[in-house]
Parts: sequence; structure tokens; C-alpha cells
Amino acid sequence: MGEKLRSVLPSVFSVLLALAVCWCFIALTRDAQTATEAYFQMLRGGLGDWPAFLDGGRVALLTRPLGEAAIKASILLLTGLSVAVAFKVGLFNIGAQGQMLMGALVAALVGAWWELPGPLHVLAALLMAGLAGGAWALIAAWLKLARGVHEVISTIMLNWIAVSLVDNWLVVGPLRAGAGTSLSTTGTPEILPSAHLPRLLGDISRLNLGFPLALAVALALWVWLSWLRTGFETRAVGLGAEAARAAGIPVTRRTAEAMGLAGGLAGLAGAVLVLGTELRYPGTLGAPYGFDGIAISLIGNSHPLGVTLSALFFGALRAGGTRMQLLGVHKSYPELIQGLALLFVAGRQVWLALLRNRRRAPQASAQAAPAPGPEVPRA
Amino acid sequence: MLEVLEALLSSTLEYFPALVFATLGATLCERSGVVNVGIEGMMRAGAFCAAVASISMPTPLGVMMGMLAGAGMAAVHGALCIHWRSDQVVSGMALNLVATAGGTYLLESLYGPNGTPPIQQLSRWHVPGLDAVPLLRVFSGHSALTWLALVLPLAFHALFYRTPFGLRLRAVGDKPHAVATLGLSVPGLRWLAVLGGGLLAGLGGATLSTAVLDRFEQHTPAGMGFMALAAMVFGRWTPLGALLAALFFSAGNALRIGLASSAPGLLQVIPQGVLLALPYFLTLALLGFQGRRTHAPAALGTPYEQESR
Repeated sequence: MGEKLRSVLPSVFSVLLALAVCWCFIALTRDAQTATEAYFQMLRGGLGDWPAFLDGGRVALLTRPLGEAAIKASILLLTGLSVAVAFKVGLFNIGAQGQMLMGALVAALVGAWWELPGPLHVLAALLMAGLAGGAWALIAAWLKLARGVHEVISTIMLNWIAVSLVDNWLVVGPLRAGAGTSLSTTGTPEILPSAHLPRLLGDISRLNLGFPLALAVALALWVWLSWLRTGFETRAVGLGAEAARAAGIPVTRRTAEAMGLAGGLAGLAGAVLVLGTELRYPGTLGAPYGFDGIAISLIGNSHPLGVTLSALFFGALRAGGTRMQLLGVHKSYPELIQGLALLFVAGRQVWLALLRNRRRAPQASAQAAPAPGPEVPRA
Repeated sequence: MLEVLEALLSSTLEYFPALVFATLGATLCERSGVVNVGIEGMMRAGAFCAAVASISMPTPLGVMMGMLAGAGMAAVHGALCIHWRSDQVVSGMALNLVATAGGTYLLESLYGPNGTPPIQQLSRWHVPGLDAVPLLRVFSGHSALTWLALVLPLAFHALFYRTPFGLRLRAVGDKPHAVATLGLSVPGLRWLAVLGGGLLAGLGGATLSTAVLDRFEQHTPAGMGFMALAAMVFGRWTPLGALLAALFFSAGNALRIGLASSAPGLLQVIPQGVLLALPYFLTLALLGFQGRRTHAPAALGTPYEQESR
């Protein structure tokens, strides 16, 4: 079994096991038939209603669910990459949520306040959102590097600060649509049409430019981390800061850069959400995509391509999850599957031990000798 | 003036027990060298199970069920971190995600989206003599858990610094190999600490649903577990530090609520969002101010392997 395969299999098995456990869970609370039917609904909602389409249905039966899946996946992918990049340099970015909030707010403001020609406007909004997210993350980076505050604690605090300031003050107060008047709306004004992320398939799907953009970002990150010198140095810092410093790598600089980049990616996720689907900063951003990014990144083994696969999978699951509600199965199911999958991924060592056992067993019988017992990585 | 002070103190004492239990739980666990960012999830499990159990049994028993639920989550954490040497932060975050999604699912499928049906709240103790004394009367009219919360950190201080077990616990977080050399079981000590931490976090959650409120609500514990982590760091991984940090955070929270309700005019000057952000901002500022002098156990976060030296 190759080294590559061995690093991928635990994630795959974890996701499968999570799906199986959740199936049992529905089967126990409802019945087995409902559980199976719910999973089929989830497939149809996430990957398109193929049976109905082949029965002579319209293309929209495929494009609509796939478009929804792609929208969800693009945001999960960007927050997942944010967490993954921070991981590569040895930081645990729990703050993607706050960074995304900041990015979303700035994107909404740039989209609504600035007046620029079409492509330029989208670009400016994306850029500013990335910068805002990056700046928010750099606070944590500075606290870590200059003051020794652990990034897990500081990013958690920064999340709460962002939520309190943005959701509880700015978008219901000074920045809300019609602030200063007696209008009692929440959320910022609608962004101008020139700032909308263009839809790729017109009216038959909500799929927008955010999806290819997220894929391109993943590809660029993969190239950077695998092939470029600064990317290599970044990974070296994550693998061992002391060794990297001894090798003459500017550790502080690489750390700050990676954290800033992580924040920028999370900010971009917020921008894609606002410019692509919400079209303004609503009263509250709702879904904790930033926290989902942690699971997406870890299930994807913090590798840009792995993160892409895991984001695509859970994007489809999310889009399909809404469909399960038709059966009265709660819409938080995909999140439960995601959480369980992460829990099983955390038990990576268990999987590796099981895989090792399986590999050893046939060998031992072939040799027909009491080979040294299966090597369990345990004290 | 006196009434305002009494109101603030009373409000502080409402909020304080849950936070101090969780902070102590986190401190106990991390002193043994196991990172525990899953406190929030353990609190959520504790709060949920305590509320559900209290529907059909006396509330104190329900609180114990909540503690067991917290310990159950901690057992998963322990199995992954101690036995299988997984990444401890990842395991903790996974527990949080499972508790969030699982709690939401169970709540909605069993009782509907708003919360469990109301339960019998823990009885509140009215101390006969105390009721008449100004200022001191704020201590009257709380549940037994508030008193426990005031005493427990002292008990833990004694446990940590005055008993052989405390010495071993502190040593296992700093130099596990030295402890192993003495013939003591490193995994065993860590298991005790992790499970104890889970019991305490579960108790913290149960406090929220049985003493502060009379039900489990969708968003319980609303980030208090993460506050407990900050309080643990701020209290420098010591029981008395946990007590003071938890008091500080609860007082800040009480001040915010007090300001908002007693001086509505203030909200015109300082927006509520800024007030909400204040405790978190203060934490960050204080941690930044505390600076490089880290007090974390030396072996925190590193899985223990018998063979490695």
C-alpha cells in the first residue's frame, strides 16, 4: 500500500463510517426505510435528480441541485483552504468564522457604496474582502509572534468580537439599509448589480463565478505549496520551526504571511457568499461556514486537493440536506455527518492500525510462521 | 447605590458557577498535559442530558446525569488522545461539532426547535440570617451549586498543591517521563484528569440548564465553553486563578447586563454590540499584556509514548 493511499484512506473510511452511523441514527429514531429514502433524497438534492431527468425531464432537474451544491462547496472550499494554509505553517486557525464575517461585511459595503464598471467592481469587492479577512487574521498572528498568545485562544476571541461588533451593532445600526431614517430593517443595503458575481448558466442554476474562482484558488495553493520555494519554506516552518530557523528560513515572516493568507481566503469566502447569493450582508450570516472549514480541512488532510474533494463532497451533502426535510429529517444532518467524520478522522491512528493489521495478516499466514504480532502504535 | 451593587453581585453569582466549573474542568484536564478545546461540546452534552433527565427524575439526579454525559464525551476525547495519541485540538473540535449538530438534531426531533419543556429548577437556598444583612444578602437565594462553585476551587487548590495526587498530576503535565520512572502510570493519571474534567464540564452545562434556566435551549451554552478556555489561560492553569478569572468574566458580563438594563440611555452612547464585544476584547488585551510568560504545562499537547525519551 502506497504512502499516498495510506494518508487518504482514513479520511475516506471516516466519511463512509459517518454516513453509516447517521443512517443507523435515522433508522433508530424513525425507521430503516425512511433512512434509506432520506439518503436517496440527499443524493438527488446534491447531485441532481437523474431518474426524473432520464425520464424525459428538463435539464434544470440536474443543474439546479448541482448549482446549489457548487455554491455551498465553493464557500466550504475557501474556508477549508483557509484553515489548511494555517495548518501548513503550524497554526490552528479557529478564527475563519470571524475573518469570513469581516470579508463579507467589507464585500457588502464595497458592493453597495462604490460605483465602478462591472468586472472592476467585482474584483475590487473581492480584493477588499480578502484584505479585510487578512487584516483580522493578522491581529492573531501579531499576538502570537510578538506577545506569545496562543492562536487558538486569540482567534476564538476574535470570532466573538467580530460577531458582536458586526451582527449586533454595525449591520443593525450605523451600516444598515436606511440608517438614519426610521426604517427598521436589518442588514446592509443591496449591492449594486455591477458587483454581482456573474451567473454561469443564466437562469437555470444559481451557479456563479465563485465556484471556478474557489477551484482556481485551490489549484494555485497546491502549486504554491508543492512547487514554489516560499511554499516549501512555509511547510518547513510548520514541520519544525526550530529546524527551519536553523536552515535560515525567516520563520516569523513566513508565519505572518501564511496567517494573513488564511484570513484572506476566509474573507474571500465571505465575499463569495455576499456577492454570489446573499447580495447584501443580511441581519446575520447564519451558517458557521468558518467552523465547517476546520472539518473540511482536516478531512481533506490539509492538502489543497484533498480539501477540494472534501469540500465538493460536503457541498453536495449540504445541498441535499435541505431535500431531506421533505421527509421530516432535520436539516442539520449533513453537519452531524461532518462532525462525526471529523471525529473519526481524529482517530486516524485507529484506522492506520487496522490497515496495518489487514496487511500483516495475509503475510503471516503465507509464511506459516508466528510472525511478530501486528504492530499496534501504542505504548 | 447599594441596590445597584447588590444587583451586580447577584447577577455575577448567577453566571459564575457554570463558568467556574467549566474552567476548573479545563484546568484539571490540561494540567495533566491533554489539551481540551472540547469543553464547549462537553458542556452542551451536560446541559442537554441534565435537562432531559430532569423531566422524568428529580433535578439533582438530572444534574448527575449531565455530569455523566460530560464524562462520556471526555471518554471519547481520552480514548483518542491518550490511547490513540491523536491530535488533541482536532479531537476537541470534533467533539464540539458533534455536540452542536447532534444536540440540535436531538432537541428538534424530541421536543421541537425552541427547547425542552420546562423542568423543576434546582431549589434555591435562602439562608435565614443572611437575608437581612445588606450586601451579604446577595449570597442568599441561589442554588447549592453556587456555594459549591465558591468552595470547589479552594478544594482543588488543596488537591493540586497539598496532596501526592496533585504533585503527580502536575508532574504528568510537565514531565510525563519522570512520572513513569517512578513507576506510576502516565495514561492512568491522564485518564483520571480527562474524565474528571469531563464531569466538571458536564456539571457546568447542567448548571446552565437546571439552575440558571429551567430548560435546555437551542444555543446553550452559547460559547461559554470557549470563555472557560480563555479563563483557564488567563488564570494561568491554576484553580485559584480559575476562580478569579471566572469571577472577573462573570462580573464583566453582569456589568454589561446591568448597564444595559439600569441605564438605557447608555445604549445610545455605547452600542450594545460594543458592550458584547468588551469581555472578549478585554481578554485579548489582558492575554497580550500578560505576554510571553507562559504558564502552560510543559508537556501540554504532546502525546505520551512509553518508549520515547
